Amino acid sequence: MTDRFSRQSFLGEESEALFRATRAGIAGLGGGGSHIAQQLAHVGVGGFVLFDPDFSDFPNLNRTVGATFADAASKLPKVLVAERMIRGINPYSVVWPIQAEWQTDFPALRACDVVFGCIDGFGGRAQLEESCRRAMIPLIDIGMDVHEGEPYSISGQVVVSMPGRPCFKCVGFIREKDLDDEGRRYGEAGGNPQVIWPNGVLASTAVALFVQLIVPWCRIHPGSAFIGYDGDAFTLEHDGRLAVAEKQECGHFGAIGDLGDPLWEPETRTRE
Amino acid sequence: MLKEEDLRELDQLCAGAKEYTEFERNYVLLPQLRLPAGCTPAAVDALLCLSARDGYPTRLYFAQQVASRNGLNWNAQNVPVLQRNWFAYSWSGVLNDGRPIEVLANHLKALR
Amino acid sequence: MNIHFKLTAALLDEISTDLRRPHPFAAERAAFIGCKASACRGGILVLAHTYIPLRDDCYADDPRFGCAFNADAMRAAMQFALTNDASMFHVHLHEHSGPPWFSRPDLRESRRFIPDFWNVKPGLPHGTLVLSADAAAGLCWYARREKPIRIAQITVVGFPMQYLGRSR
Repeated sequence: MTDRFSRQSFLGEESEALFRATRAGIAGLGGGGSHIAQQLAHVGVGGFVLFDPDFSDFPNLNRTVGATFADAASKLPKVLVAERMIRGINPYSVVWPIQAEWQTDFPALRACDVVFGCIDGFGGRAQLEESCRRAMIPLIDIGMDVHEGEPYSISGQVVVSMPGRPCFKCVGFIREKDLDDEGRRYGEAGGNPQVIWPNGVLASTAVALFVQLIVPWCRIHPGSAFIGYDGDAFTLEHDGRLAVAEKQECGHFGAIGDLGDPLWEPETRTRE
Repeated sequence: MLKEEDLRELDQLCAGAKEYTEFERNYVLLPQLRLPAGCTPAAVDALLCLSARDGYPTRLYFAQQVASRNGLNWNAQNVPVLQRNWFAYSWSGVLNDGRPIEVLANHLKALR
Repeated sequence: MNIHFKLTAALLDEISTDLRRPHPFAAERAAFIGCKASACRGGILVLAHTYIPLRDDCYADDPRFGCAFNADAMRAAMQFALTNDASMFHVHLHEHSGPPWFSRPDLRESRRFIPDFWNVKPGLPHGTLVLSADAAAGLCWYARREKPIRIAQITVVGFPMQYLGRSR
């Protein structure tokens, strides 16, 4: 193990090599995704696939890790902010910055070993989960909300969708009603309140789950994860719905036709 | 599963309809679906979803946004189905209660 | 062209348990895995789904081979490929730890029967895997190329992720 990672040697002799060989996809490089990118670079992840069509600007400077005042002024694309940050921590990492939504480049998504979902909306999350399941990729999703009220309240969650284990629908994180309501809405919703510190809590939790997935350093081996964050009480708790869901097989994914690319036209002629 | 005759009936409007199931929803791929007069492009790959999703009882997706005489609200953008991206306008209330070609015709009314 | 083969932890468990069952005369058991595939940046993903064990009466009693199977087994595998639009991978187990590899008879026979799957599913990748107690290796025939491609990565998806064979 090199000096660079000596302080995380308790993760095991092979951990440095395993992280270096892992390619992590991050869909959304905003408040949550930018945190995750930074932490993964520090941990030593060697490959990054970054998806986000958006730009750094002043309204998102309050929470985009790695973004500077100059980036906001010049509207630097978020994926380039993240790429610069990652390379500054680990210049040997391989980074694919894709300034577009993740669904515009399925082959790049499929090349990931693990994907972090840091996007808005139940529909978007459900779609990302479907594509990750098609490519048999574990998906670690994070999200936070600031709820209007007297006073305002903050909550969030980290949910892991592991192929072969309960999915977002199984654990009740995504319901058909939520998808129906979102699907019927006309136009874009307004900018939701977003702040940096809950994103930091959720991103750190997601990275902890990722580390445990790659180099299980402690005895806890969660089959999956659904962790709720109460930003007012400053607590993280396991959501009991996961334990219930794990007693049954996932009925939403599982057919052979739900794997791979059904419209793929593979090569039929030899080039040699 | 659709009847073969229903699939072949759709071939009047496209270049070989094919049925798929994805995550328990039923779709019919309609390659180069010929669109009503006044649309640009005149033909485009389309996907008829015969199952309820996202608040619609059925839905017609297109491989790209289509220009038509009517201004339509294309409120579904880059929706991944069968590992391709699709676009759809808001046109609700088309139930899956007839032959697939009837369902398709009801969706295409929005483009006339 | 990198080939990345993936299977869930549950499927690996099913495969390993079944391949370890003793057979009346065959020294080794074998089976097929029905898979789906897709293109990814830099290569192809092969995604294992259905384990198709060989019935006991599908083995041929041939002392030249640890495991030989008859035409019925091949027909069943071909039928699965056709019905499910599937890529087919033969699999067997070597009982040792460490990286396994195919014996000469394994390679000779694989070259003979794996490309036969192109008769039902031309263009799809088909191949063969060998497992050990803690590792795996594989070969993939693709795009009607005569020479198979060594599978670059074999990943077991679960908690934890297991990389049984990796050359990345």
